[in-house]
Amino acid sequence: MKISLFVTCLGELFYQEAAKDMVEVLERLGCEIDFPRGQICCGQPAYNSGYRKDAQKAAKQMISAFESSEYIVTPSGSCAGMFKEYPGLFQDDATWHEKAQKVADKTYEFTQFIVNVLGVEDLGAVYHAKATYHTSCHMMRLLKETESPFKLLNNVEGLELLPLENSYDCCGFGGTFAVKMVPISEQMVDEKVRHVEETGADVLITADGGCLMNIKGRIDRKGKPIAVKHIAQILNSRS
Amino acid sequence: MAMKIGEKPFFDRVDDALDDTFMRQSMANAQDGLRGKKIAATEGDEAIGDWEDWRSAGEEIRRHTLENLDYYLEQLSENFAKRGGHVFFAETAEEANAYIQQVAKKKNAKNATKAKSMVTEEIGLNEALADVGCQVHETDLAEYILQAEEGDRPSHIVVPSLHKNKSQIRDTLKEKAGYSGTDQPEELTAFARSQLRDVFMNADIGITGCNFGVAETGSVSLVTNEGNANMVTSYPETQISVMGMERLVPTWEDLDVMVNLLSRSAVGQKITTYVTNVTPEVGPQSVDGPKDFHLVIVDGGRSKALGTEFQSALHCIRCAACVNVCPVYRHIGGHAYGSIYQGPIGAVLSPILGGYEEYGELPYASSLCAACTEACPVKIPLHEQLIRHRQIYVEEGYADKSEQAAMTAFGIGASTPSLFKIATKGAPTFAKPFVQEGSISNGPGPMKLWTKIREFPAPGKENFRKWFKEHKKGDSRNE
Amino acid sequence: MSKGTIHNRDKFLSHIADRLGRERKTDVSRPDWEYQPQWAVYQEKTSDELCALFNENSEEKGTLVLETTMDQLAETVEYVMKTYGGSPMVATDDGRFAEFGLTDVFDENDVHIWDAELGERNIEKAKQANIGFLFSDVSLAESGTIAQFNDRNIARSVSLLPTTYAAIIPRSTIVPRMTQVTARIHKQVEEGENISPYINFITGPSNSADIEMNMVVGVHGPVKAVHIVILDA
Ligand code: SF4
Repeated sequence: MKISLFVTCLGELFYQEAAKDMVEVLERLGCEIDFPRGQICCGQPAYNSGYRKDAQKAAKQMISAFESSEYIVTPSGSCAGMFKEYPGLFQDDATWHEKAQKVADKTYEFTQFIVNVLGVEDLGAVYHAKATYHTSCHMMRLLKETESPFKLLNNVEGLELLPLENSYDCCGFGGTFAVKMVPISEQMVDEKVRHVEETGADVLITADGGCLMNIKGRIDRKGKPIAVKHIAQILNSRS
Repeated sequence: MAMKIGEKPFFDRVDDALDDTFMRQSMANAQDGLRGKKIAATEGDEAIGDWEDWRSAGEEIRRHTLENLDYYLEQLSENFAKRGGHVFFAETAEEANAYIQQVAKKKNAKNATKAKSMVTEEIGLNEALADVGCQVHETDLAEYILQAEEGDRPSHIVVPSLHKNKSQIRDTLKEKAGYSGTDQPEELTAFARSQLRDVFMNADIGITGCNFGVAETGSVSLVTNEGNANMVTSYPETQISVMGMERLVPTWEDLDVMVNLLSRSAVGQKITTYVTNVTPEVGPQSVDGPKDFHLVIVDGGRSKALGTEFQSALHCIRCAACVNVCPVYRHIGGHAYGSIYQGPIGAVLSPILGGYEEYGELPYASSLCAACTEACPVKIPLHEQLIRHRQIYVEEGYADKSEQAAMTAFGIGASTPSLFKIATKGAPTFAKPFVQEGSISNGPGPMKLWTKIREFPAPGKENFRKWFKEHKKGDSRNE
Repeated sequence: MSKGTIHNRDKFLSHIADRLGRERKTDVSRPDWEYQPQWAVYQEKTSDELCALFNENSEEKGTLVLETTMDQLAETVEYVMKTYGGSPMVATDDGRFAEFGLTDVFDENDVHIWDAELGERNIEKAKQANIGFLFSDVSLAESGTIAQFNDRNIARSVSLLPTTYAAIIPRSTIVPRMTQVTARIHKQVEEGENISPYINFITGPSNSADIEMNMVVGVHGPVKAVHIVILDA
């Protein structure tokens, strides 16, 4: 199967290890991966802050980059969700709207692609740890993907997955919200970190770079001994 | 006092809220409790079938009603008046208040009882009536408590006194109403019951809001648990119901669906204890019914949403389900919004009714987690409307200039691959001076806001594109 | 009621039509809704099952449920009188009490029957009463709710002011849910009938959770509720 990797700007800049793991997992599943070079950022920061025109610019760039792809797979539920918003950005422009719709329709979040498209639930991964999983809001509510990550994680040998209290509450990232509403975001991420701590987990797993950056940033600032990992890192682990 | 709460700027209100530990704990407790109850009575109740179908039914009814609002309001008013009621259409809060003042003066009314109603809070009716010598007695327990505290305002559209704990309530009632009991909710409630009994009987005017008007009969439907709506509509000679102009349904059949959605979403009940439906009486009068019945229908800025992307915000049935799941509300409570409409729906509605100058920051008080949209029983795309507000805020030039510049730069950066390539390549070098032990604790420029409370990741040393290229080469070599 | 009036309507509605970007509408037919989940609820239930549900849901709200038969109704009513404080008591002015053979019990126990001609005095009576007796016109299995079509004789004060309301519920009045009641009202309207000015749905005693979300029973309405279900009526 031919797929195009949409690595996301955060993945490219900060979470290259996770991105590499994702590539390896997908390759092992027989996917032929390409990396459209024109990709940059999905435009969500501008879109969510109300800068529709600037978001359109980013969207056009991405649509052009991925137009000819068969499947678009990304390690972020939120960025996949943004691709799904593209048609709405071009309501008054039939040509771009159609292109946007096509791109949106073939976009999948990483775990969603593995479970729903490839039909695989056991990746033969091994990872010895007590962990808990953070369900990112956009993946859960915009993409409506709630099961795939758990299906895959439940088949990881050695992984004990602990339930997270108030798992449905946002971690306080929200893109520019994290810097625009610092005091509120701080309380939200603190509550999230508290619930994570209460599980007794050593590792927090998530499928979203934004949440990861936020929660990890706070955990590290507070010096808590909890590792934060992208789900691809767990699923590609063999020990 | 109307819609606005407090005079302080937004971030000061947020700071005040974050300092109020009791309030924050009670918001969190209330949310956790209500969420469980709501889920059990909605998705979790197999007896009613698929909750999604109910939501779709609600949306369908509300959409149709709003699309034909002029028609249904005409029908409602026609039927109400046909049975002897008086209808007043008020474009503004001032017009509504002036009409009601005039009714009070004509009746020489000194006392009025009121069942809980957000629209009367919105128009500031209590003050308007006080101005003409008519005192309004709040009878909903929560509103009664707030009124005793003089100047306290609602922090939740369904439970307005959510921010107050029982010892605060006891102290207030002690000081203002001569209460001498404990802080047990049963005892406090019994006190309110005994205090209000005679007040109900002796009032000249009974004031209610209107959960739903029913167009086909000109009926006013009121949803309560305490029974105060029944008291308010039974004993005073004059009844005045104030209705936001969008709060109606075409028929009784539609009322059924809406009451079900409201009861289950607001408080997790299959039906509220009382659903009280009042229609002007024809023929000989009841002893326990109003002789004079007025319906005041208020625009108050709502029409600004008609014909725009915000039209569906008027589908709202004020159940507060969106408030009850909002993680921002959870931490800052209701007063920080500076409006009697708080939480996600408050952040959508307040700028429509009160303008961006006053409420333009509210749409940003959301992480766009979409929990609200998921909870809303009439499927209002709340988080999308928050984004839409932000767009208008930006388009109309309210946004900060430096943010605008940054976003323009973002737009250019995000559509120019060569620039992005330079940026990714340069990032590790650029960030180097700030990196300590693999992350950034005190970033420059806009990163400063991030690193105020969290570490910022140091850019990876490797270039992913380069890695991928090499990796692929390896692939082909293997083949 | 006086003659009705309408103020400021035309300008107001024209403004709405303007905002909606069209002319005023004078004829709209309500569509056949695509989604109507309400009708399916409890459709497959037998009347026994509906009755059991009604009782269960009443009890869940703290209402006492007494099942009885026509033969034993008077006795059951007397039991309720004794248990909930006896006189003073009130009842609605409802022919069904006589039909159901309750005239004597009411007489013997000095129950004040609402009398519209007595005016305000009725309200005084109801306020002081320990118990108010009334019939449920339609009863909702889903929630243990009674529905009353009140008027000047079947006065709503009787279910509202006394400390306890005791509703008589012929089993035949039990329907799945509110849907069946509102459908009946809607049909009445379509047939050009005037509806009752006060249509009340009541589900157990009044209550509030306004203080720290603690449930307290007995706020402005009754503190206690009794549902007397007549199995063979
Ligand atoms: S917006 Fe929806 S969820 Fe929020 S109060 Fe209104 S109806 Fe309820």
